[in-house]
Amino acid sequence: MSTGGRLLPTTVIGSYSVPEWLGRLKNDFYQRRISQRYLDEIHEMAIKAAVVDQQRAGLDIVSDGELRRDNDIDYLLARIPGVEIPQRAKADYFDYYDAVLRRPLPHAGGAGLGLAGDFRFMREQTDLPVKVSLTGPFSLARRIRNEAYPDHADLVRELARMLADEAGELARAGAAMLQIDEPFLAGYPEDVALAIEAVNIVTAGADVSWSLHVCYGNRYARPLWEGHYDFLFPAVKQTSVDVLALEFARTGDSDLVLLEQHDWDHGLGLGVIDVKTPRVETPEQVAARIRRALAFVPPDRLVINPDCGLRHLPPDVARAKLAAMVAGAALVRGELPVPTEREVASERA
Amino acid sequence: MRIDVRPVSRLRGDDPLDLTGTLGPVIGALCRGTVDLARVSVVCDWVQYRENFREVADCRPVLAQPRPAGPEVAGGDGDGPPAETGLEIVVDLRRSAGADLPAVISGLLDEHANPAGSRRVPLEPWGPARQSCIWRFNALYWQALSHWEQATGREYEQALPGGQSDARNAAAARELILELFKVWDDLDARGALPAELYVVELGVGNGSQARTWLDEFEALSTAHSRDYYRRLHYLMGDYSPHVLSRASKAVAHHGDHVSALVVEATHPSVSLGFLQGKAFLVYLSNVYDTLPGDEIARIGGRPYLVEVRAYLPGTDARRIARKFSAPAARLPDLVGKLLRLGPELLCEAFGQHFEALAEAVAFWREVWSALRLQERYVPLQGLDEYPLTQDLTGEQLRSQLEADGDIRMHVNNGALSSFAETLPLLHPFGRLECHDLFLSDVRQYRTGFYGPGKYDGSVVNWVNGPLLRHVGGRAGYDVAIAPFAQRPSANVKTLTAQVRE
Repeated sequence: MSTGGRLLPTTVIGSYSVPEWLGRLKNDFYQRRISQRYLDEIHEMAIKAAVVDQQRAGLDIVSDGELRRDNDIDYLLARIPGVEIPQRAKADYFDYYDAVLRRPLPHAGGAGLGLAGDFRFMREQTDLPVKVSLTGPFSLARRIRNEAYPDHADLVRELARMLADEAGELARAGAAMLQIDEPFLAGYPEDVALAIEAVNIVTAGADVSWSLHVCYGNRYARPLWEGHYDFLFPAVKQTSVDVLALEFARTGDSDLVLLEQHDWDHGLGLGVIDVKTPRVETPEQVAARIRRALAFVPPDRLVINPDCGLRHLPPDVARAKLAAMVAGAALVRGELPVPTEREVASERA
Repeated sequence: MRIDVRPVSRLRGDDPLDLTGTLGPVIGALCRGTVDLARVSVVCDWVQYRENFREVADCRPVLAQPRPAGPEVAGGDGDGPPAETGLEIVVDLRRSAGADLPAVISGLLDEHANPAGSRRVPLEPWGPARQSCIWRFNALYWQALSHWEQATGREYEQALPGGQSDARNAAAARELILELFKVWDDLDARGALPAELYVVELGVGNGSQARTWLDEFEALSTAHSRDYYRRLHYLMGDYSPHVLSRASKAVAHHGDHVSALVVEATHPSVSLGFLQGKAFLVYLSNVYDTLPGDEIARIGGRPYLVEVRAYLPGTDARRIARKFSAPAARLPDLVGKLLRLGPELLCEAFGQHFEALAEAVAFWREVWSALRLQERYVPLQGLDEYPLTQDLTGEQLRSQLEADGDIRMHVNNGALSSFAETLPLLHPFGRLECHDLFLSDVRQYRTGFYGPGKYDGSVVNWVNGPLLRHVGGRAGYDVAIAPFAQRPSANVKTLTAQVRE
């Protein structure tokens, strides 16, 4: 993940704080009180504000906060050709759609999920590197009632091909950092090989810097599953991703040893901010978490991020947590040896 | 003029209400007055509680401006009555037939025009209902229950409609326990059953529910192939150490399986935070309806907070004052002292009025019996500014308030706070089960009265079930409200909440 050779670059996982008023406006759309045009404009204004917040916090890599997305699934699911959503009215915007697939997905060739347009909008708002996340094929498939493929794995693979097309569109639009989110994977550890196979199908679609984010769920700010990251290994070693972004702040760092045990030689997105509590970490706490990770992963392979998206945190808390994260990373960065010009050049290359 | 008749089911049948017999005199009296009739609403209720906080009729101003921040002086209305946009005349149809309505309404209109001439003796300043002293009376009742029971000669369970709390229902306990066994069997088969199995009861009363439940559990566990009793921890939570001590005696034969904790019902997370994600069952019976709460109204499409002020009617105040050798003006202070000190210390501190404990308890009972609530509607400037609980804003009310025209409904702040803080204690396969007076549909507010009323020395107030369902749903829990299986015709309903998705 290139950030001009800066060690311990800071970023978000994807989603940003959704203020209560924004949730209300999203609901107003579903109650037919405001139009799609109003909602689109509201989203654009909210995204601009989210970008400013991230820049002010001092992040190195920013996102659009996924503020157009009702939740981690529906934004993409509702745009996939062939996926039927019988009831599009929602009591609350955050609810999941019920989706059904009755016929096989159309073959690849321009998925048109709209993420390239979202990226172009972001590109106009900031000069900082922008990361775009895609809900992974494994998690998308879990929310589809599959009547089209006798083997569920085939649905996952087809969704992966569609996302690979979308990644290609994003790359052509200029996106250089993409992330695959698999929020449901931890609940189905026995399927990790299929999920990784699908990840590799997606990443083949674009020659960019890829991250894979796997957490224990953050729906309603609550973990969906408990456990450890053992299940990811060794399967995850077969991925072509550059960074594996995991949660450690809430769960503790006992899983860090897995990276060493399994010779993980790619980047690690280190979760240093617990997104399930409004309690704001101190820069010293963040720094301590980074220092502990440095015992297992060298600094040039560490990316600093929250455990997961910031969606459920109030705006002031989200801002404070990001500021603490950036300050904590700076504390540790100041303790590291200054990289040589050759190392910087190598990273830039 | 708007006329809103709520108990519509009583307008038909063998013995229908004589609505015109009530409305005629009310409207006649209004027409003889000078109030702007275009801004008047007449609301007809049926207050089913024999002991309640209402006179047969009253008037409720609809204020034009939100109340300025800061405390209001007791009994004072500042430089004059605040500006109003409307006036609600409320009539209790259950009692209206025997009342001299023209005189009552005329008196109310005179008082409204000249508040300084009011004969009511306010016991507190205007404020949200959740802050009213009626809830301190409620707390006093549970804290000093034995004195009240001694004075009335009957235990509080005898004051309940069925003469017994539903908490003692063994069949309900058995059903719940067997469902738990099924969940635990499944988890055990997957090697995912925790070593310790936590069950929590909040609001333990005299311990009868805990005893019934634990006795049933032990018996069923013995018959079951896995001995879950061995791993069971039953935590009894109550805000009163005295109540906990009494309940603990009732379950003493279950030894180490039971612990008692002082728990503030509205903030269970303070003392039970260590149970986060661990409780397989949280059980509450008749707790939520006794916790402080407000009412919110939508009038003309805009949100209002119902503010209340407890008072003693002039004639009652004079009678009570005479009986206890105190000037009527002294009553608010004596009531405040009663609520702060309790009857025992009250008679010690104010021997000139209460020679013995029995007289202090008599004072308590007489004040409680006479106590009424005056109401007014105060505009809310944005629902988000209204603190539903410590962590939730009034935005949670929006879907109910905006669903279908004007409405007045409970928001049960105490119950909501308790509920919202209890949900995170649940194990992913745990459930919250609660027996209480739940409304199951917000539209019920259009056709009925649901409190507050008085049961013996306590407050009874129905709980806005759909609001709990909404708040639970937004936190990722499925919340269902169903008739109480063992007594389907009862007002008490069963609310259950479980993790969704």
